Amino acid sequence: ATTLKLSHQFPGGTIDQGDFRDRMCRKFAEAMKSKTNGEIEVQVYPGSSLMKTNAQFGAMRKGALDMSLYPAPYAGGEVPEMNIGLMPALVTSYEHAIAWKSGEVGRKLTEVLQAKGIVLVSWVWQTGGVASRGKPLVSPDDAKGMKVRGGSREMDLMLKQAGAATLSIPSNESYAAMQTGACDAVITSSTSLISFRLEELAKHLTSGRERSYWFMLEPIMMSKSIFDSLPKDQQDAIMQTGAELEPFGQQGAKEDDLNVERIFSKAGAQVESMDEATLDKWRDIAKATAWADYGAKSETCAELLRLAEKVA
Amino acid sequence: MTQGFDAATASAENVRAPEPRVPGPLGVVDRAMNGLNHVILVLGGIALVVACGVLSYSVLSRHVWNEATDWQDETAVFLIVGATFLSAAGVQARRGHVAIEAVSGLLPERANRARLLVADVISLAFVAFFAWKSWMLLHEAWVDGQTSQSTWGPPLWIPYSLMAVGMSLLTFQFVLQILEAVIYGPKLAGWGAQKIGMGADLTKNLPADDARPVPADTRP
Amino acid sequence: MSVLAIGLMYGGATLAAMLAGIPIAFALGFVALAFMYAFMPAASLDTVTQNVYEEMSSITLLSIPLFILKGAAIGRSKAGQDLYTAMHAWMSRIPGGLGIANVFACALFAAMAGSSPATCSAIGSAGIPEMRKRGYSPGFAAGIIAAGGTLGILLPPSITMILYAVAAEQSLGRLFLAGVGPGLLLVALFAAWSVHNYRREYAAAKDVYERTGRTSTILKGDAFTMRERFSTLPRVLPFVVLLTGVMVALYGGYATPSETAGLGGLLALALIAMIYKAWKPKDIDPILTATLRESTMLMLIIGMSLLYAYVMSYLHISQSAAAGIVALGLSPWLLLLTVLLLVVGLGFFLPPVSIILMTAPIILPPLKAAGFDLVWFGVVMTITMEMGLIHPPVGLNIFVIKNIAPDIPLRDIIWGTLPFVILMAVAILILCLVPGVAMWLPDLLLPTTR
Ligand code: NA
Ligand code: NA
Repeated sequence: ATTLKLSHQFPGGTIDQGDFRDRMCRKFAEAMKSKTNGEIEVQVYPGSSLMKTNAQFGAMRKGALDMSLYPAPYAGGEVPEMNIGLMPALVTSYEHAIAWKSGEVGRKLTEVLQAKGIVLVSWVWQTGGVASRGKPLVSPDDAKGMKVRGGSREMDLMLKQAGAATLSIPSNESYAAMQTGACDAVITSSTSLISFRLEELAKHLTSGRERSYWFMLEPIMMSKSIFDSLPKDQQDAIMQTGAELEPFGQQGAKEDDLNVERIFSKAGAQVESMDEATLDKWRDIAKATAWADYGAKSETCAELLRLAEKVA
Repeated sequence: MTQGFDAATASAENVRAPEPRVPGPLGVVDRAMNGLNHVILVLGGIALVVACGVLSYSVLSRHVWNEATDWQDETAVFLIVGATFLSAAGVQARRGHVAIEAVSGLLPERANRARLLVADVISLAFVAFFAWKSWMLLHEAWVDGQTSQSTWGPPLWIPYSLMAVGMSLLTFQFVLQILEAVIYGPKLAGWGAQKIGMGADLTKNLPADDARPVPADTRP
Repeated sequence: MSVLAIGLMYGGATLAAMLAGIPIAFALGFVALAFMYAFMPAASLDTVTQNVYEEMSSITLLSIPLFILKGAAIGRSKAGQDLYTAMHAWMSRIPGGLGIANVFACALFAAMAGSSPATCSAIGSAGIPEMRKRGYSPGFAAGIIAAGGTLGILLPPSITMILYAVAAEQSLGRLFLAGVGPGLLLVALFAAWSVHNYRREYAAAKDVYERTGRTSTILKGDAFTMRERFSTLPRVLPFVVLLTGVMVALYGGYATPSETAGLGGLLALALIAMIYKAWKPKDIDPILTATLRESTMLMLIIGMSLLYAYVMSYLHISQSAAAGIVALGLSPWLLLLTVLLLVVGLGFFLPPVSIILMTAPIILPPLKAAGFDLVWFGVVMTITMEMGLIHPPVGLNIFVIKNIAPDIPLRDIIWGTLPFVILMAVAILILCLVPGVAMWLPDLLLPTTR
């Protein structure tokens, strides 16, 4: 039997309980076992217990790590094209996000990653929101003077243009930073907003459930060299299982969008959502800043951006 | 912590006998390396102070001018990582990388010398491998144009090159010390001064900077 | 090969490499590489350097050298001595006040420095000779400094807690605050013991005097005039300002923990430049080089410990060990006791930095499952590791003392530290019975339900 190590950075739980991203990995392991009659055993390593998040991508490219459920933008330092996986206001709804895989942009991204030694096994998209302490952060005008943890270069570029002071803090310090007032607002996925327990501090939540400028691609990826070393039937089983699990991932993400609203309002926070006009304002800023910055990185980046804009 | 081996290094400075002078061409290399190590230690110290300044500026800029702080943390990281790796050789020159000296008092003289040589050779093997892989990492980062994954996004060849150079210097330092030990005996290889170790204070009640008996046949 | 077999081999190889006298950092790295080569995919060897870099390049970890710099600036200038003199002047009226002065001086220094031996050597170099001059027994003088030094990593800032916060993914701000209560508890216990011991030694000396007429310096009181006392204050005040300034920056929401490290380092250098005129290269050079030596040694051990832990995790050793501990089905307190004994045992051949990073993936999941608060446990683990540093047979603080006062026989030092080891065990017991001693402050200032 072949053992595949599947790593991720999210909190570990069981197949039925906990972070849906961890559950998805465990479901993947279970499905692979039954599909291959135990020929492939997948070991799940939650919470970066195997290696640091940033090191996972490089390790997969080299064949030192088999698989990872990995946020695309984290790989942006090694493969700049990957930053498109968290481009502000480029993807604004789940329908929009799901259309990527079969669209030209999906094919191009798959191709780019293949060339870098990575196979995209299962597409997972997630939206996120803003937890803020003093005042809500919904429109660009709200951002002025706020200290915000944007979490990625592209988000920060957009937020800075809107007048926010962005700061970089380790994610496990988000809570303390908001508590002491070192930062006023944190932008991250619904699931992480829940696991950071920011509802204990935040007075406002801008939910991404209906629409958002924050959509992140965090697929299950696999090392191409490992993938290529497997027999054809096992390769097929992997890709098939990956595709079959995509609805579970989307469902989990959507449930957390509801959960985060419920948890925040229960804790007494005001839950806001964004209207189309406000989203357009953010998009205009994002185009002039993050998109332009990304498109200028390489010809491939520019092309990916063009193809992504075609998806609607 | 490894506990304030700071205090151990501190006291070593106070009670330390003058360095024995290594003769011959090896001595020239040894002194050149010592000179380089000192320059690096001074620059590394300055780097730490600059890192402090950068982080302090980060506090000011956010609260006084309400500016984003996106380059400060990473600049500090590069400065401190660079200082750490580059000064590794200088620390090794004084045998400052802590080892456990629990058996030195139990072994006969000859066996002890063999043990120390083996320890140095194994250390050399590790640091040489690490240095080699650091150069490979640097090469990849350079060719791919890899950057750090932050808003500022500086190129990764900066810290990687500091790591590669630092580990290479450390490798060289080990080669030098092993040659000195083989040709001129343990004292000149710094073994006589290897005072740090969790058992060092117990193995023999000897002065701390000379926990191990130095063989009589140590040639000058 | 079974995980158990590989795990035993891994542990055995590590022990052998350590005992062979290979520097800890390189011993851990070498063993990790050897097992990588033997049991992991060949490509793993290509990822070693990136792994180590990614682990080390966290600003939280890298604030350690800056905290060391702050400690060195104060400890290596005359500031440490002044702090000590001031405490002495103010405590001299109390019987046994000199011992209390030493404990207080250690505590104040500890609140500015992050390591325990740094505290030992900064206060001990003035404190031990002074206590001996005043007729205190050498063993007691050594013991109180060795024990007072342990406050260095209990009162914030603390290098050990930084590592623990990273390994256990707990908030460093809360962890620092959780050390304050237990730190003060230890100060009180140490001070009480000091008074008790003074009375005993005083009575013994008096007895000798009455029987033989031989007098001892312990029978003479210190006389500080009020003028002398107040004259010591201006020199201490700036450091109190530094201390509170940094605290306000951190807990008032002005700075992140790592920024606080930078701020503290810079302020400490500025203060010794202004007050002690220590700004010339010849004054600063020893501070900087000593900082760098300690930091480099420490950071390499940290980097290689992380590499070591990675291999242990990849080979499923940590996970199996953690599962094995859970499977024992121990009651929570028995589990805690077992874990603490394990920590003490490892302390015989590993430095605390490595203990934290290497055991965290093994011991934290079972403790968490048993319902222990990981911030609280961080404090308990810190005190436990500190006990290892002052108790025989291998105690690093003892070694530091040996350097400050080489003429005190080892036997006296060990007997002198023993009561303090017991006091620390008492403190741990109190922490188990009344967790609020640690948790009250973080719950008050940085409450969370996490
Ligand atoms: Na910053
Ligand atoms: Na401290």
